[in-house]
Amino acid sequence: MDNNLNFKNKILAFSGINRREKKKLVTEFLINNSLYIFMIAAIIVIEIISPKFLSVPSIVNIISLSAANLPIALGIAGCIILTGTDLSAGRIVGLVACISASLLQSDGYANKMFPDLATLPVYVVILIALVIGGIVGLINGFCTAKFHLHPFIVTLSTQLIVYGILLIYLMNGNNNGQSISGLDSSYTDLISGSILSIGTTAIPNFVWYSIVITVIMWFVWNKTRFGKNMFAVGSNPDAANVSGVNVTATIIAVFTLAGVMYGVTGFIEAARIGSNSAATGLNYELDAIAACVIGGVSFVGGIGKIRGVIIGVVLLRIIFVGLTFLGIDANMQYVIKGLIILVACAVDMRKYLVRK
Amino acid sequence: MKIRLLSVYTILICILFSACSQGNNDSADAHVFYYTYSDTYISNVRSALGTAFKNNNISYHDYDSNGNQTTQTEQVQTSITKGAKVLVVNIVNTGSDDASQGIISQAKNANIPVIFFNREVSDEVINSYEKCAFIGTDAEEAGHMQGEMIGEYVVRNFDELDLNKDGKISYILFKGEEGNNEAIYRTQYSVEDANKILKEAGKNELVFYDQSNPNKYLVDKNGQWSAAASNEYMTTALTSYNEANNNMIELVICNNDGMAEGAITALNSAGYNLGSEKKIPVFGVDATDAAQELIKNNKMTGTIKQDAETMSEAISLVTKNAIDGKNLFDGAEEFHSDKSVAKLRIPYSKYITEN
Repeated sequence: MDNNLNFKNKILAFSGINRREKKKLVTEFLINNSLYIFMIAAIIVIEIISPKFLSVPSIVNIISLSAANLPIALGIAGCIILTGTDLSAGRIVGLVACISASLLQSDGYANKMFPDLATLPVYVVILIALVIGGIVGLINGFCTAKFHLHPFIVTLSTQLIVYGILLIYLMNGNNNGQSISGLDSSYTDLISGSILSIGTTAIPNFVWYSIVITVIMWFVWNKTRFGKNMFAVGSNPDAANVSGVNVTATIIAVFTLAGVMYGVTGFIEAARIGSNSAATGLNYELDAIAACVIGGVSFVGGIGKIRGVIIGVVLLRIIFVGLTFLGIDANMQYVIKGLIILVACAVDMRKYLVRK
Repeated sequence: MKIRLLSVYTILICILFSACSQGNNDSADAHVFYYTYSDTYISNVRSALGTAFKNNNISYHDYDSNGNQTTQTEQVQTSITKGAKVLVVNIVNTGSDDASQGIISQAKNANIPVIFFNREVSDEVINSYEKCAFIGTDAEEAGHMQGEMIGEYVVRNFDELDLNKDGKISYILFKGEEGNNEAIYRTQYSVEDANKILKEAGKNELVFYDQSNPNKYLVDKNGQWSAAASNEYMTTALTSYNEANNNMIELVICNNDGMAEGAITALNSAGYNLGSEKKIPVFGVDATDAAQELIKNNKMTGTIKQDAETMSEAISLVTKNAIDGKNLFDGAEEFHSDKSVAKLRIPYSKYITEN
């Protein structure tokens, strides 16, 4: 009701002003919402050229590809809100994916990494995955907060360390650096099995997990003291400190939570792809960071919404699927992605400067 | 206080370094440079080569160039100053001769033999230094062999494979990376040679599933030949090309087994290749352990075996010859087919399901 009235007032105000101001307002609106306009235009164009783009299976595909990339983006978004970043995210995903896969290879699979190890219950492995992600995140957070290092440096270091550990891990047991596959059905069913289908199109289960995680993260960001502290520390750590926020604890908690999110992503990724090697997770953090900044999570700090992260992730997936549908040269995808990130950040900064 | 801290640090670092350097002999004779540790086939070679070196009593040191030519060139430089007797190089950059030529000129100055392996180096580079050799496969052979295997398989099972009975087999092809010779040859010959065989048998040629794609392949944009890339492409393709639309993809060709695994996972989610009747033939290259297992379980159709053990034994033999100052190819003449250049070729072999 309030919104409605607000809107009406706006229209009234709009019809009341002169032409030049009108023009300015329209331009302003177009610039500020350029991303959404671009997204809608892109969808329309792709749909016209390749009509199956908006069919049910295709939409489910876009959703499931987005869902797989959402947890890592939600995790990294927290680090960006603290004006930080996290370069170790992709490698953590890779490490967790390989460890989860190795613990959940089916009994009797000929190339089992640990042949004497019975397939563990899935829930135990979920816990292990979350703990591993969390520990690396904790280290990231601890070094950032205690030693006052920029997260760029800390996570650059942990990225290397984690990759080294991953390579060492892959040479263990019977594995000899091979990719890890032959996963137990209890695991693959849990992740990429399906309890619900639209028509004949099955929705993989991990979509639901991703939705649940998103809801939890929304709650954490918006409804908890920790969430409010995170934004406060992000926008001005000194002010937050003065007003009684434990800055150190907040930073550590944000990075640990991010690590847990990478753990989730890795656990899902292993079963989704089915074959895990040292290349798993490579560059995932860059896609996740791109998704965040496209969705308006700002490197200025203290600014960002869950909604934005979701839009960023989905937009990147639409580009991927759309260009595949159009059969466009893969090289163009880089150009388009780069332009979108640039435009999105420029628009974002513009809004921020206006507010200031 | 500071001094105490410093000494603790020093001790810690000493412990760390000495713990890590076990097995990596300081005065190693052979210095081996791998283009990246993350490649599964190269990992196979790495462990097989380690065993072969030990059997021949050759001390060695491994380096990971991590897919970066600059890193590798710097590693080579350092190892020469360290006193390497032989350089065994799995070159990163195969696109041009500059990198390999650079390594050779460094080795020439120090008068050390260089043995390139796996990733191809041009004839001119090999011939530019008498203490230089290449041990690998014939990059084109894998593509030709894959094409032949696919052609023969499709001719044998044509009616069964042609799901929509339009008399044509539609295929999807996953390329490992742009600008890599092996990927280019495999992408080209797998289809060309298969078509040749189909034509001889009086069948229609293979058709790329998506008419609007002029490349007729989908490539891993990160150049990692990864299962994730093929998986995402395949999932996306299956949303609009399936049996419900009567345009199901009827054949999957992959540059390597990792990509084949990713495609199979995508097919599994769509209810195919679970080991029972509904099976789309998937072809790879490498014959990794995982692929062999998939073929045994009737989830994958065929792959081309690159023999890591024979390759490693050949490398180790040539290295031994180099250290002993003998003729490089002593005892390995059987693989030396083209006498105009010092290159050994380890043959590929087919690995396919019975039917």
